[in-house]
Amino acid sequence: MTRITANRRAFIKTTAAGAALLAAPAIFRGTPARAAGVVNVWTYANFLPPEFKEEFQKETGIQIQERLVDDQGKQFNLLTAEQPNPTVDIVTVAGHRFLQFIDAGLLAPMDTARLKNWGNINPVFSESDWAIIKDQKWGAPILSGAEVLAYNTEIVTPEEAKSWDVMFDKKYEGQTAYIIQDMMSVMMLYKGYDGNMIEYMDNPEKAAEIVKETRDFMIANKSMVRKFYDSGAEIQQMFVNQDVVLAHAWNGPISKLIMDGLPVAMTIPKEGSYGFVYTFNIPANAPNADNAYTLLDSLLARPEIGANMTRTSGFISTIKGAEQHLSDLEKKASSFTEEELKGLQFFRAEANDMKYKLVDPAVEEIKAA
Amino acid sequence: MTQTDTQRAGGRDTVPRSMRRSFWGAVMTNGAYGSVTGFLFKSQRRQFLLLASLPIFWILFANIGPILQMVRISFLDSYPPTVGYQPQLTLRNWNNFFAERIFIVPYFRTLAYSVVFTVATLIITYPVAYFLAKHVKRSSQLLFLLLLLIPFWVGEIVRTYAIMILLGNNGAVNLILKSLGLIERPIPFMYTSFSLGVGIVYLTALYMLLPLYSALEKIPNTYLEAAADLGAGAWTRFRRVTLPLSKEGIASGCTLVFLISTGYYAAPVLLGGPSTTVFAETIAGFFHVAGDQWPTGAAFSTIMLISALAITGLFLKLIGRSGKGLMQ
Repeated sequence: MTRITANRRAFIKTTAAGAALLAAPAIFRGTPARAAGVVNVWTYANFLPPEFKEEFQKETGIQIQERLVDDQGKQFNLLTAEQPNPTVDIVTVAGHRFLQFIDAGLLAPMDTARLKNWGNINPVFSESDWAIIKDQKWGAPILSGAEVLAYNTEIVTPEEAKSWDVMFDKKYEGQTAYIIQDMMSVMMLYKGYDGNMIEYMDNPEKAAEIVKETRDFMIANKSMVRKFYDSGAEIQQMFVNQDVVLAHAWNGPISKLIMDGLPVAMTIPKEGSYGFVYTFNIPANAPNADNAYTLLDSLLARPEIGANMTRTSGFISTIKGAEQHLSDLEKKASSFTEEELKGLQFFRAEANDMKYKLVDPAVEEIKAA
Repeated sequence: MTQTDTQRAGGRDTVPRSMRRSFWGAVMTNGAYGSVTGFLFKSQRRQFLLLASLPIFWILFANIGPILQMVRISFLDSYPPTVGYQPQLTLRNWNNFFAERIFIVPYFRTLAYSVVFTVATLIITYPVAYFLAKHVKRSSQLLFLLLLLIPFWVGEIVRTYAIMILLGNNGAVNLILKSLGLIERPIPFMYTSFSLGVGIVYLTALYMLLPLYSALEKIPNTYLEAAADLGAGAWTRFRRVTLPLSKEGIASGCTLVFLISTGYYAAPVLLGGPSTTVFAETIAGFFHVAGDQWPTGAAFSTIMLISALAITGLFLKLIGRSGKGLMQ
């Protein structure tokens, strides 16, 4: 072994420096989850407009600590892992995932009496049947969206985009993309089935048959797909690069492309599609629940804030009158015609347990095929 | 430290008079301090253990610990823990892997890709390392290495997006080919095994290049000159001298690149296509979907880890054997 010579003075100084280094995280750590002037929010990118955050923090003195999420399942797992003492005060749950979060005891019921601006939410969203579970409300609806057919207007015509058929037109082979799990539901609807699978809750064999049929159809048409993608940023990148000309997508990211002036449009095809609502929810045992209610009330205070949320996220604000504060291009990019809306139904959660036990393996099989 | 030094440890004579009133002076003239440091520095073994204790703790705490925790979770029927439920031990998560063909496909695809990408990285970076080690002036070598290091100062995701910008339909490669009149319509490079390969080779190149450079740089030029004097041509010199003597670098580089390739997640997600799903994506799926899927994800991660280590071990054994007699 090489001879090591050590000087005691150097040793003690080094030890002290090492101890200081080890203690540094405690000194430089950010504001803890439970603190008088803090609200911890888990949400998607651009849901909270920067101007709103700045104004809210200045007016209330409450600091917003934001953590970005991009997936409902991941958020569920994170929140479950943190039980019974979560570090978050507001989570962003999609309406059709409520049940799962509620059944796991992760959410606290929403005390709407504490929100003086609750009435500013469009009743279509705040009083819908999906929003009331076990006779209670569990979140404040903030943004709504839809699974849309997005297309490059320089290559695909609006007539072609009237049906989901175009996604399987050989002319566009290798130029389409979709979020595979969401597309499964849309394809069930396209084939005339209930993509929410509520109709088959008492007939699991039928449900399994439908999923198998849809899976086989998607495997048979796999050559059409350029990319199974996950995030809004990916599909935006693909349209910008012209890697794809057609896609199944959430309206938010596509809306942003339209606002930016790209030759992209979106529609709800005649076979229909699914809509969803994002809600801000307060978890059970939230460390700063009072601050969470303060933030929610501020967020619902004015239609201009709703318009700004639409502008930054691309999704449609649930606040009454928000659309009046959007430019013509912004309105065009974030709204649908009456005819399109006829085919839109909301995702429902009642059959999710059965549905995803069938859909998840099918998704893996499509990927592996 | 000599015996005399040890005897004087903690003694007042070791501390200058000017220091004795300071904080450090007070500490160093304290009897307890003298006993502790005297004990610690008494033998080289103790000195070594003292120096090694922090790295060993770090490796156990930050590397081995999480892996053991992952293995533990793989045998549970439920995780994360839910209030009021005591997880039970089960082999179900491990059985899932062997019961479903759908998981075997991305598993073998990952191993095959990793082997191919490792070989490709070796073939591409070996000439670069050789040029750097043998044809660049010693004074310039550091500058060249620094230039090669610069792209690695940015994150993996940024570098992956750089590949996307290069290979996209509107990317630099297609634009150049178009402007040269070689193509009319863009070639769909992206979301294929090709784009994934380009990405992985680019991301792992440095892990191959540095060990290779280190090994090649150590080969004395006199060996090559002697071989030339004895009539060996360029190919023979490479085959009989350079290649065997750079074996250690090849082994280190290939091990690093292979292990890193098996675990890449972001690059395959961003650069791969519908037919290039790798095992890391399958594993990630278990952690993304809600419900008790973490144990299955943990079992699959352990399977991948064991497989990668086994293949690496086999490779090192083979390369160890192949080295015998090369220089005889």
